[in-house]
Amino acid sequence: MDKYECTACGYIYDPAAGDPDNGIPAGTRFEDLPDTWVCPQCGVPKDLFVKIG
Amino acid sequence: MNVVIVGNGLAGTLAAKTIRELDDNVEIEIFGEERYPYYPRPNLIEYLAGRLPSTKLFAFPEGWAERQRIVVRLGEKVTRIRPGERKIETVSGLERFYDVLLLATGARAALPRVEGIAQPGVFVLRTLDDANGLIDHLGTHKRVAVLGGGLLGLEIARAIRSRDAEVSVIEYFDRLLPRQLDPAAAAILKSHFEKSGISVRLATVVREVLGSGAVQGLRFESGDRLEADTVIVAAGIVPDVGPAKDAGLEVGRGIVVDDLLRTSVPTVFAAGDVAEHRGRIHGIIPAAFEQARAAAYGMLGQNKPYGGTVPFNTLKVAGLYLTSVGEIDAQGEGYEALVRSLPEAGLYKKIVLRGGRLVGGIWMGTKKGAAEISRLVAAEKHVEALKKDLLEDDFDFSEIT
Ligand SMILES: Cc1cc2nc3c(=O)[nH]c(=O)nc-3n(C[C@H](O)[C@H](O)[C@H](O)COP(=O)(O)OP(=O)(O)OC[C@H]3O[C@@H](n4cnc5c(N)ncnc54)[C@H](O)[C@@H]3O)c2cc1C
Ligand SMILES: [Fe+2]
Repeated sequence: MDKYECTACGYIYDPAAGDPDNGIPAGTRFEDLPDTWVCPQCGVPKDLFVKIG
Repeated sequence: MNVVIVGNGLAGTLAAKTIRELDDNVEIEIFGEERYPYYPRPNLIEYLAGRLPSTKLFAFPEGWAERQRIVVRLGEKVTRIRPGERKIETVSGLERFYDVLLLATGARAALPRVEGIAQPGVFVLRTLDDANGLIDHLGTHKRVAVLGGGLLGLEIARAIRSRDAEVSVIEYFDRLLPRQLDPAAAAILKSHFEKSGISVRLATVVREVLGSGAVQGLRFESGDRLEADTVIVAAGIVPDVGPAKDAGLEVGRGIVVDDLLRTSVPTVFAAGDVAEHRGRIHGIIPAAFEQARAAAYGMLGQNKPYGGTVPFNTLKVAGLYLTSVGEIDAQGEGYEALVRSLPEAGLYKKIVLRGGRLVGGIWMGTKKGAAEISRLVAAEKHVEALKKDLLEDDFDFSEIT
């Protein structure tokens, strides 16, 4: 599963950890995050993330 | 059509990205004063702490701009704008014609007018060059004073502490983060810092940076002195309006823009930390991004009004989650405050009620329930019957609808 980085603030989404604070369980692939999900650190939408492998 | 962008920070870069997504044919050229490709500034904190290698600072993979057919000229400061002819000039003598221009020149770190502030050993942290200069200096100068106990100052202090430096934070107000915290919560945050070996001086006015040619310390209004060989100033920002002002654009504290991010000259737009929208300079990432996106639409003639940015009310300060909404410190007739506090654990929860309705809250040290509290405060929910339970860690917010 690939990690993705927020190009606005540098936050890294790690699918292994998910984003439990915002209702995203560990093991959720970035591709499967809902479109309403935003960067938990700076609030920008999903399309501003790039894959970092 | 020919778009020129001044500044390759977040606003300039994300505006270019959006323009390309909307239109395949527009020519896009960015001029950036810094010598580096775009990087998110929060990465500088991790870099300063030694936790992020310099190769990982940058947001986009190598070759990204070329693939997007965005021309990026680095180390090329724009020195002059001639709106009448729709031309810009750069420091090395380049000249460009534009159909539309975006000013995304951001901001610089503010330097308070204090005696001795302009000398070697005094630093700010805004750019990668700033970070490198500071890291270099810290190798042999490890007694650090950080001027400013705001969010940036606190992050810097913590980052530097992890380089084994001796760090003091100097704050003008009588508590940390006065806008976000009440005195009790601020005291917990302070002791959280002190436990990690950072000392905090509150209600302190700096009168002089001591030394001549090399920083030796600080002198305070009280007459006290603090020895230090490094001073880092984190005292706010000054929008970089230089070229816009010279060109006669309407400038307040920043470049004045309307809801379409247009300046006083219709073919010139501005976005990000440099823009003054409805009298406000936001200075935060979500605002810079939303403005950049709206400006990109506007520059292509597809109007997408921008109505302002509501700042995130959850922050992470020195590893602690902090949510702060509404009237956090209201007292007196009709108000009631309830607190649950575990200072040792860095936990502090507070709700403020007026006539049984929730009008404010602080959630520090946990994020659980924070989003719900924000929502309830925004709705001024009547919670009289549940007020004690709300502060419990296992409270089930679905009980309130
Ligand atoms: C260390 C640090 C941490 C931060 N952390 C956060 C955070 O956690 N959350 C948050 O919301 N915000 C944070 N911020 C603020 C955030 O970085 C800014 O809001 C954001 O960078 C604004 O983007 P911008 O593109 O408007 O301006 P900038 O990022 O300042 O970019 C402007 C660029 O334009 C260039 N430029 C200026 N004049 C010219 C010229 N004449 N010609 C060519 N180029 C020029 C500058 O060199 C600069 O590269 C942080 C800032 C710093 C310094
Ligand atoms: Fe982000």
